[in-house]
Amino acid sequence: MKNSFDEKILDEAKDWLSSNQKVVLATVIQTWGSSPRQVGSRMIVNDKGDFSGSVSGGCVETAVVRECLGLIKEKQLFKKIEFRVSNESAWEVGLACGGEIAIFLEQID
Amino acid sequence: MKKELLEKIIEKKNKKIEFSIITNLENGNGCIFQKNEPLDKNFEKYKKEIADQFKRKRNGIIDGTNIFVENYISPIKVIVVGAVHISQYLVNFAKNLNFEISIIDPRGYFASEQRFPNINIINKWPKEAFKEIKTDENTALIALTHDPKIDDPALQHALKNNFFYIGALGSKKTHSNRCNRLKESGFSDERIKKIFGPIGIKLGGKSAPEIALSIIAQLVSEVYKKQ
Repeated sequence: MKNSFDEKILDEAKDWLSSNQKVVLATVIQTWGSSPRQVGSRMIVNDKGDFSGSVSGGCVETAVVRECLGLIKEKQLFKKIEFRVSNESAWEVGLACGGEIAIFLEQID
Repeated sequence: MKKELLEKIIEKKNKKIEFSIITNLENGNGCIFQKNEPLDKNFEKYKKEIADQFKRKRNGIIDGTNIFVENYISPIKVIVVGAVHISQYLVNFAKNLNFEISIIDPRGYFASEQRFPNINIINKWPKEAFKEIKTDENTALIALTHDPKIDDPALQHALKNNFFYIGALGSKKTHSNRCNRLKESGFSDERIKKIFGPIGIKLGGKSAPEIALSIIAQLVSEVYKKQ
């Protein structure tokens, strides 16, 4: 038995779009080891750096926001990013869980 | 992702249709997969694998490809008997947890739109109400009136249709009387034991939101036990 426990992030993305904000969708596509959020977890980021949802337990969200803002600035449509324990610059506050995650960023256009 | 795709996804979600979002991580293309519907020709090559991940409800990248599949499954149906104070809090918890709630209560003053805005309320006796709702072994029943006239027919329906979760409000004594009545109606002890009564996990709280929390916690825990 399974429930979807849908977090309504996509619904929120639609609301943001209708108020003329640029929106980047970030989705966890792969995890290794003990990562806090499962595959399919999402967050959205707008052109001001506001975000909603999560892709980790607060470990990488800051870095993801920065990447999303870069995507908007460079008018890039999508990008895959990975976070590892060794990637120290990304883990500003340190990665307590020791997991690794891959995240797909895509502009909604 | 195209805005049109996002809108289509939300539309299907709202209609409680099961589908998958397919994304090509190499070129950013996306589409929707739905059983018995034609698939975008750009993804034709992966049709078998996509259908397989959809069937197994497995989210993730298809092995050896750059195709990401995310499945949307229809929410678990929860039927609440009794449009009581506890139900008002249950509805709020259920919203965040994505359960699909319907409330049955033949008493008009309880089952009002004003008390339960935007909720499927069926202002009928359970026997009639169940003709309107499709139920199966993925459905849950929460009986809260502790009035045998209303609760018992609903409990009987849930037992007969093998609901995955059945809970009934009431003290140990109320529950023991309830079990005796069900036994008299021909249900086996084994069946009757499936009812969680008194309903909810032990938190100690007695207020309406606390009881609602203890019920919803038990429900979520049962969902994971059945996985």
